Amino acid sequence: MAFQGDFFQLLKEQGYQFELTSPKFGENGHASHPPLTQGTTVLAVKYRDGVLVAGDRRATAGNMVMYDRTDKVLEIDRYCVMAIAGVPATAFEMARVLEHSFKYYRRSQLQDLSFEGKLRALSKLLKENAPAALAGTGAVVPVFAGYDLQQGCGKVYFHDILGAEFEGVDHAVSGSGSPTIRGILHYINRWSGQPLARLPEEEATIIILRLLTSAAEFDSATGGVNVEANLYPTVKRITEKGVETIPADHLKTLYASKVAQYV
Amino acid sequence: MYDEPYRWVEAVGNRRQYLDDQFRQGSPLVAVSYVDGIVLLTTSHGTPKLYEIYDRIALGGMGHPADLEKLRFAILDMAHTEGFQRSPGDVTGARLIKYGLAPAIKQAFEEIYKAPYITKLLLAELGNLPNQDRFFTIDYDGTFEEHDDMAVLGAASHIEDTMRAYLKTHVTPSAATLQAVLEVAVRTWALGALSQSHDNEQSESSSSDSKETESNKKDSFSEEQILEHLQTGLKEKTLECVVLDRQAPGSSKYRTINQQEILSLLPLLNKTTN
Repeated sequence: MAFQGDFFQLLKEQGYQFELTSPKFGENGHASHPPLTQGTTVLAVKYRDGVLVAGDRRATAGNMVMYDRTDKVLEIDRYCVMAIAGVPATAFEMARVLEHSFKYYRRSQLQDLSFEGKLRALSKLLKENAPAALAGTGAVVPVFAGYDLQQGCGKVYFHDILGAEFEGVDHAVSGSGSPTIRGILHYINRWSGQPLARLPEEEATIIILRLLTSAAEFDSATGGVNVEANLYPTVKRITEKGVETIPADHLKTLYASKVAQYV
Repeated sequence: MYDEPYRWVEAVGNRRQYLDDQFRQGSPLVAVSYVDGIVLLTTSHGTPKLYEIYDRIALGGMGHPADLEKLRFAILDMAHTEGFQRSPGDVTGARLIKYGLAPAIKQAFEEIYKAPYITKLLLAELGNLPNQDRFFTIDYDGTFEEHDDMAVLGAASHIEDTMRAYLKTHVTPSAATLQAVLEVAVRTWALGALSQSHDNEQSESSSSDSKETESNKKDSFSEEQILEHLQTGLKEKTLECVVLDRQAPGSSKYRTINQQEILSLLPLLNKTTN
């Protein structure tokens, strides 16, 4: 299948099965499975130079905190990022498939996959995953953000579990904590005096830290910031230079001076 | 008629002769490691001859473009499924060559009812340090060799020997910069191309008096001759150059050096274009 540069098809031909589903689960139409690891708040915000993508670090299974250092903002290639909400087992696998798919396409076809092509690849995986998502064993609702080099601008998208993609004009959110911050984002964008898209990086980062702290306040599955454990969210910036991670030390300073004092 | 053993040997012999002829006009290929990476260099007429295979692996080839593409796709499939199913660290040049390409090429070469691959390949694998860089070359019959520091492809083995000897005397991979290594690489390419055209002239003239003399193969040329051949060679062909850059951010280390960058790194070429 190299002639079409389709890595996912190549994997399937070699007997790879993407979907994580078992007939035992969800047979009678309701969740009959043990608690799954999930829970999150992730968001992507367009700012002056591109896009900032952020996520808390907590993974939960039912009432239990599974892990407090998860990285949910996954770098797929130099210009795009997938922030995951939902079942990590499936989401990490999706990220791996996408990462290899984009590389494989570039190396076999000798050109980069377009931003639309990348989005489509993610939608295809989500569609493929639909049975598992409906059975309750593998729902993933990602936020996909990147810098479109052809158009020279940042872009953000959010998805539903079946693979429909929606473009966020200014921002996109996902995960159990997202209802809390969606309204705040809308409010800030419209009435704070300056739309998000015009903010410099530092101001946008402060807003993101405040939003994640708010999400953690109302959603037990969102980790927020834990100063004692030196745990800060993951924040990545995507500009025409590519994807870069904002160092935790910088977040620490911003949090101490601009977030904690108001809490 | 090939079912008798000696006929088969004869057929394979003919095939060797046929294949040797196919590479006479080909462009030699040079790969050398330097402090910050590996350089691969050749010339082409539009169709590229240097390719990215995996995060730290690059491929170059001589021969028929369609065969090259077929083998390139085979090795891409192997590398990417391995990198996905296991991990990128498990994708190694040695495995791709020894268990992947070499058996396929050998089989095609020896199945005398089918067409062989008209290709010679060179695989460069970037290590974390210059002394961990590896090079693999594989001939049209599936014979492969592993090299440290540098490797070359040329129309015949004696040409490759000449090129390698020239490279060895002019480069110290553990200390060389990109610019220094590029200059020697481009001269080595010209030396290879010069030796090939010398060979071709010899065989044309000797075919008339039907006595081929080994002594006609000339292995040493002066720097002026090399430079002159470089200038004439680059009038018809474009220099193609890629690096595996040890310092590149991210997992993919492959980078194409564009024409502008080549000219700024190689002042000796500016003289040729003026």
